[in-house]
Amino acid sequence: MLKLPGILSTLGLEGMKAIRYSPWVMHFNAGACNGCDIEVLAALTPFFDPERLGVKLAPNPRHADIIIVTGALNKKAAERLRRLYDQTPSPKFVIACGACAISGGVFSGSYPLFSRADSVVPVDVYVPGCPPRPEAVIYGIKKLLDRVGEHGGD
Amino acid sequence: MVIVEIPIGPQHPALHEPIMLKVRTEGEEVVEVSVNTGYNHRGIEKLLEKNSWVRGMYISGRVCGICNAVHMQTYVQGVEKLMGVEPPPRANYIRTLVMELERIHSHMLVAAVMAEIIGFDTLFMLLMRDRERVMYLKELVTGNRVHADIHMLGGVKRDLDEVRRDRILSELKIVEERIKYYMKVFEEDYTIMKRLSEVGVIRKSEALRLSIVGPTLRASGIKSDVRSDDPYAAYSEIPFNVVSRDEGDSWARMMVRFGEALESVSIARYTVEKLPQGPAIPKTIPRATKPGEVISRVEAPRGELLYHIVSVGGANPYRVKIRTPSFLNILNTEKVYIGHRLADVPVIFASYDPCISCTERVMVIDEKSGKKTYVSMRDLARVRVG
Amino acid sequence: MEINIGKFIFKEISPRRYVALVTPSELREAVEAVMMEESYFSSLTAIDFPKEGKIELNYIFWSVKHRAALILKVTVDRSNAVVPTIIDIVPGALGGELEAYDLMGVIFEGNNKLRRGFLASEDVVEKGIYPLRKDSGV
Repeated sequence: MLKLPGILSTLGLEGMKAIRYSPWVMHFNAGACNGCDIEVLAALTPFFDPERLGVKLAPNPRHADIIIVTGALNKKAAERLRRLYDQTPSPKFVIACGACAISGGVFSGSYPLFSRADSVVPVDVYVPGCPPRPEAVIYGIKKLLDRVGEHGGD
Repeated sequence: MVIVEIPIGPQHPALHEPIMLKVRTEGEEVVEVSVNTGYNHRGIEKLLEKNSWVRGMYISGRVCGICNAVHMQTYVQGVEKLMGVEPPPRANYIRTLVMELERIHSHMLVAAVMAEIIGFDTLFMLLMRDRERVMYLKELVTGNRVHADIHMLGGVKRDLDEVRRDRILSELKIVEERIKYYMKVFEEDYTIMKRLSEVGVIRKSEALRLSIVGPTLRASGIKSDVRSDDPYAAYSEIPFNVVSRDEGDSWARMMVRFGEALESVSIARYTVEKLPQGPAIPKTIPRATKPGEVISRVEAPRGELLYHIVSVGGANPYRVKIRTPSFLNILNTEKVYIGHRLADVPVIFASYDPCISCTERVMVIDEKSGKKTYVSMRDLARVRVG
Repeated sequence: MEINIGKFIFKEISPRRYVALVTPSELREAVEAVMMEESYFSSLTAIDFPKEGKIELNYIFWSVKHRAALILKVTVDRSNAVVPTIIDIVPGALGGELEAYDLMGVIFEGNNKLRRGFLASEDVVEKGIYPLRKDSGV
């Protein structure tokens, strides 16, 4: 396997470029009320047409470039979010979608809750709202792509 | 023959929500299914005890994003009964309108998910496109696309004016046409019939013992609908039919939902046309209740939703028990999968219109406590240390 | 208004809600009688009353025949909360019993599927507390 740090870093840069033009998105529900989930789903359908940005829904963490996390993170899901994040190939980015993923939302202080999404995985973009509109989700992805472009793409 | 256990979920392309079906198969045939849940637990019942009556309204709405208005309705009508407050008729009509719009978009969503599961991606995309019209209508009425939050103790938060009434009526006409078209597709398409009919049959004789609710129960030939049996909001004044079928299979469940969606369109039209005059927004919000208990029932898109609210006076509820329709529909139907092919499992599961966030507000399952040694594809592929 | 089912008398508490008080030993007989009236199991609410030292169990059934909710109220001791299971009569009651056991600590005799950790999270189970009891401190 490719373990040389030099090669890996080069791959990273190439990967950055690849992501710039066709980011595949995986959606992870960490204990959401479904509000964000149906909005993320709506954001990925033809009415809002994210494929003009190259965005496509990936079924598997191993195919994904961007993980969209929705929902208040409970103790059980925290473990799995970390595992899914580790399974995703680098370079990878995380978008915390909705008030619950950002801060716990109305559920903060409840006993089965672990914490916020950014206490488990590094979060690159926060999309606020309860739930965020599909436009906001696409805007969040676009913001992320712009930032990737500054560093890796052209 | 070797029995192989295949975990479907929690993260699976066919399931949009975190749930795990442990399917044990002998060859292609399913011999046992156990539902493992626990990835969506938020401890809402305890949270409601800790918060005031008014705050509880918003928490109850966030049990489920798809059926949030019915959750709020159930909570609010129960608390109103404890407080001795009666909402004005106009508020009741607006509440009914929002709940029916929610039913339409929920039924369209499950039809879309079903289309995607059986591999009919075009139908999925088309259904999602036309569902946006209903979301637009919901936004027009409530100001929000998903979380309606239109209920308020003793009324609603937002009134409906003439301009928006006309736009609702013209949009509903298009929605109705589209639903009729999709109903025809589900009725006549060869692939859909092949995949759905005679799959996951629940007979009338066992439906009541299994305690399933909603369209799943009505597809097995039992006409039980909270809206007609135990009227709430404005349903006692609105004429509508209870849709039911006798087949009891996955296809019948989908057809019941389409029939209901068409009924919902006519209910929504009725509420807009016959909207009573008078105030809808309450001037003051009551804060405290009398001691007592109330069992509040509402027909959610997925079936009977029940809140058991107990008060001993004071600013907080003493106990709120939430029993959601999916809790019964998912847990009680494990045996239905047996004897079917592995590929039918997601179809049967989706035909219950499972709503995981509803089910799991009280569920957490420990993965490690399973005593059996599972031979799963995934575990074989991934050797874990320790 | 009253509904008589077998030897059990259900009294109306509000429109379409009928309540009967039963003892734990009568419970199974009462459930069998209720299920004869075209009912389905709707919900099981356990309510904790620490001052009285009691836990109140509400078995809520919806009768399609009577178009009414039939509620069986059973009161058990808080320190020794044991009632017979009803899942062999109504398989649909499984979820309710598992939930009441795990969150409230009510033991259903004869239900071999009961286990801790089915509902409550791991750390709560390790501490041996029942989250929905008033003195659980979670």
